[in-house]
Amino acid sequence: MDLTALPIAEVTDEGVKSAGKAIALGVGAGLGSIGAGIGVGFIFGKEIESVARQPEMKSDLESIRWLGFALTEAVAFYTFIFGLIAFFLS
Amino acid sequence: MRTKTKVFIVLGAYLATAVAMLVIFPSSGKNEEFKPQNEFKLEEWLPIHIGPLDLSLNKAVLYLALASGLTIFAMTWISRRMAEKPNRVQTAVELAYDLTKNNITGGNLDTATATRWFPFLGALFFFIWFSNMIGFLPLPINTEHTVSIFGLEVPAFAIYAATANISIPLVLTLVVWFSYHVEGIRAKGFFPYFASWLPPGLEEMSPFGKAAIFMIEVISHFVRLISLSVRLFANILAGHLLLLFMGGGLAVLLGIAALGALTFPLAFAFFIFEVGLVATLQAFIFSTLTAIYIGGATSAAH
Repeated sequence: MDLTALPIAEVTDEGVKSAGKAIALGVGAGLGSIGAGIGVGFIFGKEIESVARQPEMKSDLESIRWLGFALTEAVAFYTFIFGLIAFFLS
Repeated sequence: MRTKTKVFIVLGAYLATAVAMLVIFPSSGKNEEFKPQNEFKLEEWLPIHIGPLDLSLNKAVLYLALASGLTIFAMTWISRRMAEKPNRVQTAVELAYDLTKNNITGGNLDTATATRWFPFLGALFFFIWFSNMIGFLPLPINTEHTVSIFGLEVPAFAIYAATANISIPLVLTLVVWFSYHVEGIRAKGFFPYFASWLPPGLEEMSPFGKAAIFMIEVISHFVRLISLSVRLFANILAGHLLLLFMGGGLAVLLGIAALGALTFPLAFAFFIFEVGLVATLQAFIFSTLTAIYIGGATSAAH
């Protein structure tokens, strides 16, 4: 994938280019991790709360917890992958 | 108090090693030759080009064949020699079979659909699981760098997984995507199936509002294609990248040997995390979401 072919910006300076790539990777991975971190914390916190209220529901909640965990955690990787694409493939 | 002291001693030794390494081996400058993305580059081992099609054999093909072969072989072998008193392997496989049958398929589909779709969902789970797990075994596949053993050029050991390449998750997702639409149309009929995309409670809405909501539903069905495939691909790729960087890639890339001493223990922690949780969890998620999509397409009350 050659992102430089896209008419987004015409950058000729090599230093500016690599700085932009580094910022893309840092912001992508960093902000993505913040969002997913909050989300994963929420899921486990709520699960602990509900098990404390109704301990007999523990086994039922287990599979839902992993489902929610994986769905949320993937969000961090979406941004991470796009950051990597910007960093290495452009 | 004693545990605390031990923790401090271990942490101190860990940091002291890193500082000592920094003193002994100073930074040798940024390494421009090492390209981490080449770890995922597919070298053509046996080029096969038919017109515009590229059917060359490469390491992704090898891993795909290994994963599917191992799935078929392991499952048939264990099912042939089922014993009254199960050994450990049989117990583990029975647990996994139970998970796919009762939890993934049975928990999300009604009985008739579950019976029909269990073979597909079970095979999907085991294939992705084996594919992810083989991905964490170092195999001699890195033909870019060779190691000379008694004059014999042997490819360097490296890790790669079929699911760390977007093509394989994407093909699996396309199979899932088309099959749940076909199953929905078969269960409800062509127009009633598309009408069932609209959530209930919109009977009083104007046709324009209904059309707008229908468009949102159409977009959400297409987004499933991306989310399902990229979730599996990105998890496995990010895991491999983390292992690569923590296991020494970062130190080589930046030319700071001391960083290697700091990151190497982290590589072990991430390896255990990936093998113990992520590999199984992603297989579970992929097949569970497939079951949920099929269940959503076939159930009467949407």
